[in-house]
Amino acid sequence: MAKTVAQINEKIRGGTVVVVSAEEFSKMARSVDLATLAEEVDIVTTATFAPMCSSGAIINFGHWTPPIRMEEIRLNGVSAYEGLAAVDTYIGATAESKFDPTYGGAHVIEALIRGDDVRLQAHGKGTDCYPTREVDTWINKETVNEFYLFNPRNAYQNYAAATNSTGKIKYTYMGSLLPRFSNVTYSTSGELSPLLNDPYLRTIGLGTRIFLGGTIGYVVWNGTQYNTRRERTVDGVPTLGGATLAVVGDAKAMSTEYIKSAYYEKYGVSLFVGIGIPIPVLDEEMAAHLAITNDRITTSIVDFGKEDHPPLRSVTYAELASGSVKLDGERQVKTAPLSSLAKAREIAALLKAWIEEKRFFLTQAVSNLPTDSFVRPLVPREGGK
Amino acid sequence: MKKRYALRFSPTLVEQPIVSKLVRIYDVDINILNADVASGRGGKLIVELSGGQEALEESVAYLNEIGIIVSEMVKELIFLEDACIDCGACTAVCSPKALSLDEEAMLRFDASLCVVCGLCVQACPLRLFSVSDERGA
Repeated sequence: MAKTVAQINEKIRGGTVVVVSAEEFSKMARSVDLATLAEEVDIVTTATFAPMCSSGAIINFGHWTPPIRMEEIRLNGVSAYEGLAAVDTYIGATAESKFDPTYGGAHVIEALIRGDDVRLQAHGKGTDCYPTREVDTWINKETVNEFYLFNPRNAYQNYAAATNSTGKIKYTYMGSLLPRFSNVTYSTSGELSPLLNDPYLRTIGLGTRIFLGGTIGYVVWNGTQYNTRRERTVDGVPTLGGATLAVVGDAKAMSTEYIKSAYYEKYGVSLFVGIGIPIPVLDEEMAAHLAITNDRITTSIVDFGKEDHPPLRSVTYAELASGSVKLDGERQVKTAPLSSLAKAREIAALLKAWIEEKRFFLTQAVSNLPTDSFVRPLVPREGGK
Repeated sequence: MKKRYALRFSPTLVEQPIVSKLVRIYDVDINILNADVASGRGGKLIVELSGGQEALEESVAYLNEIGIIVSEMVKELIFLEDACIDCGACTAVCSPKALSLDEEAMLRFDASLCVVCGLCVQACPLRLFSVSDERGA
């Protein structure tokens, strides 16, 4: 019998809800049929903890006396966006410090979450409303009004694995790729990953409540580069890219356990973001999606040694997780993840505990995310027509 | 056997004939690889001592005793393990498999397999690795 989100929330209230992680659910599906699982399990928790470059934070600093309309805003030497109202800003995770390219917006965000003081410098041109021309002071998460993450693209449904055909090491956002196909890196929590467990986003949409960075957050839009036109496997899982999420959450309540700054050699700064999404087991169809295992999820290994990253072969996450894959004929090549499965498991377990402790209730999406969307390239054009 | 050491002197020790003493008393050969010493200022000497293991140990004991700060020049990987998030990026570049993920997907570091190539220093997105040159002797 099919369940509704409201019925599941009643079970949370009554203390009878059954929650398991996506890995546990997939294991259970080996010996229990889907109809029984759909009946007995109410919620499956999914999670990921991976570098997600398209992340950042909105901050409102509070007004200075006499007021300033802030321009050229810098936080610990990292530029933040000035084109909002007087003391609002957006600091992007990948923005780099002018003084140290290994330090960036992600580090500022992590420092603020930790409770550290951060130096704020800003100029203003000086107007009748905003006469102050210069501010140089210190802020922290207690002194500012709002400080929340607003990440335009997180939780990629699937992602290509990377290798390098050239004779030189390549430093990329997929880590250090050794020369002559000597390693393959990939970034996913596989069968535990949120959007691989609900491949058509039937239960995830606008307003969906999630775990974000150690606190409650929300899905607020589709992520950028949202692509529903990817080729799918028989299970409905896209074989590359696919869906993405835009998410929001109160950074003041987040923890540096689940938000971590990162620097990739000769690439730049990024931010590890911890995301957990509870998926209601509404019916047998959802149970079938949630039973997905790594041997049934595929991606492509692509060559970062060539400009257009041509695909070399298709591969399952079970193969990638085994430690080596065959490449270039018979050669066994070492594989390594970039996303922390250990942390993702921790998040899935934490979210399960929150639900069982009646601290987290499921939401019915206000609206579904787009059902037909694809990714356009940027093409060169002349003139303005 | 041969070992390399860094010897740090205080100004008063510069006046002592340490090198000749080592040769005479402990029967070790000394090759001075780098010297930065000046009378009245103290300094640092990088030396290679060759001799029997006992002779080397006694030489180091003697140097420590007279107040020289002795450290062995060894390349060693330093890993700030407590801050590790177990992402696994370092395992991508570790050929001898000193860095690996265990069955629970937690990072394990086996120092006995490490050849101190230093590739993990760049590979770690949290910058938790560094290579040291010396350790106390």
